[in-house]
Amino acid sequence: MTGREIRTILKDDPLYPEKMKQLSDMPDTLYALGALPDPEQPTVAIVGARLCSAYGRNTAYDFGQILASHGVQIISGMAAGIDSSSQEGALDAGGRSYAVLGCGVDVCYPRANTTLYHRLIKEGGVLSEQPPGTPPLPYYFPSRNRIISALADIVIVVEARVRSGSLITVDFALAQGRSVYAVPGRVGDALSDGCNALIAQGAGIAYAPEAILNELKMLDDALSGEKRRKRAARRATENEKRVQAMETITAEAKQIYALLEDNETQHPDALASLSSLPLPQVRAALMELIREGLAEESARDNYLRSSPVRE
Amino acid sequence: MYSSIMSAAISGLTVTDVRVETDMGDGLPLFTMVGCLSSQIREAEARVRSAFRNLRFSMPAKRITVNLSPADLPKSSSRFDLPIALTILAASGLIPEESLHGVMAVGELSLSGELLRIKGVLPIAMKAKETDIRLLIVPQSNEAEARAVDDIAVIGLGSLTDAVDFFRNGCLPDTPAAPARKQKLNIYTEDFSDIRGQSSAKRAALISAAGFHNLILIGAPGSGKTMIARRMPTILPSLTREESLEISRIYSIAGLTDDSMPLIGTRPFRHPHHTISPQALAGGGKIPSPGEVSLAHRGILFLDEMPEFQQKTIEILRQPLEDREIIISRSAGSFCFPANFLLLAAMNPCPCGCYPDMNRCTCTPRAVTEYRNRISGPLLDRIDLSVQCPPVTYEDLSGERARASSVSSAQLRAQVETVREIQRDRFKGTSLHFNSEIPSSEISRYCAMSPAAETALEHAFRSGSLSARSYYRIIRVARTIADLDSSPGLLPRHVDEALTYRPLDSGFWRL
Repeated sequence: MTGREIRTILKDDPLYPEKMKQLSDMPDTLYALGALPDPEQPTVAIVGARLCSAYGRNTAYDFGQILASHGVQIISGMAAGIDSSSQEGALDAGGRSYAVLGCGVDVCYPRANTTLYHRLIKEGGVLSEQPPGTPPLPYYFPSRNRIISALADIVIVVEARVRSGSLITVDFALAQGRSVYAVPGRVGDALSDGCNALIAQGAGIAYAPEAILNELKMLDDALSGEKRRKRAARRATENEKRVQAMETITAEAKQIYALLEDNETQHPDALASLSSLPLPQVRAALMELIREGLAEESARDNYLRSSPVRE
Repeated sequence: MYSSIMSAAISGLTVTDVRVETDMGDGLPLFTMVGCLSSQIREAEARVRSAFRNLRFSMPAKRITVNLSPADLPKSSSRFDLPIALTILAASGLIPEESLHGVMAVGELSLSGELLRIKGVLPIAMKAKETDIRLLIVPQSNEAEARAVDDIAVIGLGSLTDAVDFFRNGCLPDTPAAPARKQKLNIYTEDFSDIRGQSSAKRAALISAAGFHNLILIGAPGSGKTMIARRMPTILPSLTREESLEISRIYSIAGLTDDSMPLIGTRPFRHPHHTISPQALAGGGKIPSPGEVSLAHRGILFLDEMPEFQQKTIEILRQPLEDREIIISRSAGSFCFPANFLLLAAMNPCPCGCYPDMNRCTCTPRAVTEYRNRISGPLLDRIDLSVQCPPVTYEDLSGERARASSVSSAQLRAQVETVREIQRDRFKGTSLHFNSEIPSSEISRYCAMSPAAETALEHAFRSGSLSARSYYRIIRVARTIADLDSSPGLLPRHVDEALTYRPLDSGFWRL
């Protein structure tokens, strides 16, 4: 189906990840499509809610992208939402990413992630303890989380409710001696309650990708040298593009752009009453902003500014 | 003795003229009826016999054969009672045989000889006008309906006695003059000004009514989706006489017209409950009768809580939404019913109703996906306009903002009528009525776009998620938006606004 062989890796195989070998409750057999994580490279797991907000999606993407651009491998579960956004970010940055599935490695679940699945096989790898052909059954998923945390040096939780599967990963990570970081959210956001609670309990605060690079002792590399310059240059071109785009758009579009927010979606009705422009003009302005790459629609009639750095 | 008269059979929406003939001869008394008849027609014998007795006339003790020709056409209905009775009377010499020539008669008899109201008189009168008929006899209670067709002589009779009187002496019974036909006024108890907030949904409703585009409202419970839908009839464009006849024809056959309102004067608004069966929606029966899609012809079919309908049922809408008619095949043949309706749908975004507000939505991703998947992509692709109705805020309910956003049905209706006029001029000499009906081959003729507008559309198409079908649908919607703006050509702002309502793909639910 994928043109690649599924590899069966036993525990005594030299290919079996060293990090997993040291732990007691790891599977005897691992199945893999594509590559296995490089034991020499720093590895970070990014997990979080499947039904996430635009804020979570953007944050996960940015963490995945910036960490991967520094050579960090990203591990996740290829689930909808946070998982897949972080992995897409990593692959878009030209980095490597690995997914640990709760089904056979030849089964793409969720099916909507087919593109990501095939990219992962080519540019990273897909792993599972389940034999090929195993269907995605709910009770396989909590136990695959222990492999996600085992493969990582650090586990980052981006958005999680108080009762969330991501917190199972955190429990495994702590038992396995991995560092846990949480992306802080606003007080009262149900989607960030779990993350904020983790911080209260002493988890690291993932306020920026640099915090993670610091923990990995890669910050010098991040802040100095080629990479930083490149990133700054990219930001600058991106900003310039925006400035250029802002000059060409209509006055209404400018006014609406000023009212849009980065991480919070708004309905055209609300924008119309805030701007006191007639609704038809507001809607036309929103579509114009989308065309210019200045805004995006996260769900029907839910608009926000497009996230700034996307290369 | 032999006599014959014309009558009519209806199958589906097609009216066929039927000759009812009676032959009376010597022999053992016997009454036979032939001609591919259903049990309703066979029962006519008992009704006719009793009606005769109550007229102090007894069925002649002869060998009587009644034939309904063409004999291979399956016939049903009780409307043949009157023609059967008249031919027997003529064959026995009670009324002059030649007086029945060129006459078409329909009507059901009661045992006392009264003529009772029947279904389908309007299309029968239309048929009578086409064929060589000099006089149409109908039950008195159907007279107004038959008279809705111009240029045909109609007589409405109350009983079989009146009929005998008429054919013997040519005199009509004294009947009180028919009350002047009351034109039902568009008086609605509901008004668009009742709706608070929801500017986008109201705007979409306006576009939908003006250009007859399909519309789906998605939103949290209590946001006003159903309220808006119920107020749609108050802003629909008025009916032309031709459209009114089209609708009345269907309603007449379905038995839904009454004597005070022989012609349907307002656009239908059908809102079947979600437990409806596929047959009730499409039209069903051995000889199918029109279903909800046809009863909503030239009006609105409102499906509230669309995901609650059986999937098998709503997928039926796909073909009528494209072809504007529905073809139903049964053992008795294929029947074509018109089904050019405006599909108006309302639904919650997820089982709890709060998606995409993640702080309130308590659904699992799987539950949201499954809820969404109850409506297939191909069906969503046929719904031109889609808007999300946000939860209503307190500011919307009271205070300055509530008054500012309030708009009355009369205001919207005036805009709809203006656009209606523009469309009437545009489509003069064609069979089209509304922008939504423009065939894709004629798009370039009616929807001239500015280069910038074309670029906007091209960009949207290239960035994915548009099908070829939704591409054309967006242009038609942009045409209506430009008409609301009194603009002859499509400008970028029209196309842009139309794009914000574009048919939903799975993109509404980003999981």
